[in-house]
Amino acid sequence: MEVLSGLLSTAILSGGVLALAALGELLAERVGVLNLGVEGLMALGAMSAVATVGATHDPWLGFLAALLVGGGAGILFALATVVVRASQVLCGMALTMGGLGLSATIGRPFAGQPAGATFSPLPIPLLDRIPVLGPALFQQSVPVYLAFLLLPAAIAWLLFRTRHGLTLRAIGENPAACDAAGIRVAPIRFCYVVLGAAVSASAGAYLTLGFVPSWSDGVTAGRGWIAVALVIFAGYRPWRIVGGALLFGLVNALGYLAQARNWGVPSAFLAMLPYGVTLLFMIAPGLLRRGGALIAAPAALGVPYYRDEK
Amino acid sequence: MPILRRRSLLAAAAALSAMPRAVRAATPLAAVAEKDAVVAFGHIGPVSDGGWTFTHHQALLAAKKAFPAAKFLEVESIPVSADATRTFRQFVENGANIVFVTSEYGDLLSSVADDATDTAFLECNGHRQSDNESSYYIQHWMVSYVLGVAAGRMSKTGRLGFVGSFPVAAVYGCANAFLLGARSVAPHATMQVILINSWFDPQASSQAASALIQNGVDLLYTHLDDASCLQVAEKNNVKCATWNTDERRLGPNAYVSSLLLDWNGFCVDQIGRRLKGQWTGGPITLLPMGHGTDRDAWGATVPPEVGREADAVRARIMGGWNPFAGEIRDAAGTVRVTRGQSMTPMALYEWNWPVEGVSGLRG
Repeated sequence: MEVLSGLLSTAILSGGVLALAALGELLAERVGVLNLGVEGLMALGAMSAVATVGATHDPWLGFLAALLVGGGAGILFALATVVVRASQVLCGMALTMGGLGLSATIGRPFAGQPAGATFSPLPIPLLDRIPVLGPALFQQSVPVYLAFLLLPAAIAWLLFRTRHGLTLRAIGENPAACDAAGIRVAPIRFCYVVLGAAVSASAGAYLTLGFVPSWSDGVTAGRGWIAVALVIFAGYRPWRIVGGALLFGLVNALGYLAQARNWGVPSAFLAMLPYGVTLLFMIAPGLLRRGGALIAAPAALGVPYYRDEK
Repeated sequence: MPILRRRSLLAAAAALSAMPRAVRAATPLAAVAEKDAVVAFGHIGPVSDGGWTFTHHQALLAAKKAFPAAKFLEVESIPVSADATRTFRQFVENGANIVFVTSEYGDLLSSVADDATDTAFLECNGHRQSDNESSYYIQHWMVSYVLGVAAGRMSKTGRLGFVGSFPVAAVYGCANAFLLGARSVAPHATMQVILINSWFDPQASSQAASALIQNGVDLLYTHLDDASCLQVAEKNNVKCATWNTDERRLGPNAYVSSLLLDWNGFCVDQIGRRLKGQWTGGPITLLPMGHGTDRDAWGATVPPEVGREADAVRARIMGGWNPFAGEIRDAAGTVRVTRGQSMTPMALYEWNWPVEGVSGLRG
């Protein structure tokens, strides 16, 4: 029982990083901008969170700092991709490399140091008493609830239950039609790219203040790329992103459990397992209902919008 | 007929290249004036890792102090790929007289070394030797054994855990020596190993540590470059021994001790020899306990008598005692080292089977 609860708890912790990063990416992709800079944003967020906490000893200020730094980097990215309309793929790569390099350089003085303060668990009364599920689900820190409940609920409501959300989705599908309908495409894209970047960067803060309580060069270890893949895997839907993140975290944690319990499976195979399962989940529905449109990617994803082009 | 001729030509060429390089008596590389000397360090990780690469960076700083007129080159985070060869070639083009490579790059390094016969190459944990190539490592198994003695006394459940990188000799040596040390005082102790397939991935190592603790392990040992295991141990109220540097501030209650690294003396000595024209390539240098590696001062929660007992073992080893004497069985129960036999330093360096009681590593 304790093992099961521990497994679930680790899965949630490691899945939370992916959930936050992927939810941020979703915001940008829904308005048609592919942001491949998630890895760099996470590194920047992780570094600035630890730097801020080192000075202030308040995890929330660290979280806020990550949001702001992510937003700042997002403004640069949005200027390049939405205003100047440069290639989104190249700009995303640049953001990743720039973010990783910049955070490594600025973060050098406090690399390897423990975070000045971390998020402490906030048990939800009564619910945390449920056997197995209680300790895993309801004795987590606030950013976990944010990543798994509050944020996906807010984004799902925004995207699918409001008029503004309809506008957002329409911009991702057909910016020219939106433009003709009098919707200002570029400003809305700009805002959501910046907002998404801030949320993605906060995944870095969650990582260094909630999961691995210190910052060091390379701490993100490629999770940003998985977050980008997760958005596609989840079919651009917030609740599925959360489910996917949890699944990924679960398979990941299962790999370590298998080693700890000595099931005799080679560690390299277990390390591959999360990716294998992801692949399986992407292929399986396609095989089951052949021909149907499986991944409903926004039609204008990755395409800069020019009004003049006919 | 032409085909036959070409074939015989090919065969001759193959025979030529297969012939071993003429073994000459090792002649030292020519002396270099300090003001003209160029010393290069190629690191596997970032110098800010607070561990492995950090300690090598300290050696560079020490060498800078010892040879203030020399020029130093340093490149961090060199991937184990063709990029490494390019970087090492760059060192040679920049006039490097001696190159330290802080992890095993194998052929990626040798291909450069064979073309630059006037440059000395030292590969950490390497295996190749030639006129201008040698390698160095530490006898970490001795320190692991000492730490293991303390662990055997401190673990209540007798279940020890090891978080390692890849199934390489260093991991076998670490886990085996630690358990043998523990078994010398607690004969029923066992060791569970988890490999995370990386030298540096704090997320993975903290998950691995959690998984071990959830399965009843109450004392962890890790040789990874980051301190996540110690932090997880502190949070879960268990103990942890680590590698590289003193990290007790990250887990004051969990900290048992650490296998400290100190390359300063070795690197300064090698550079000195190279400058004086006394450096020769050749077999690996395995730095013993007390010269390059040692245990850290015991942690605050280590009982004084446990520390004293482990230190007595340490003193015996430094006096020349080899704890790796038969009979030692592997995990399958086969006797690998018979009674009266001892493992040689090279056997320990190339350890590739788990001892009895170690699970999670393949035999």
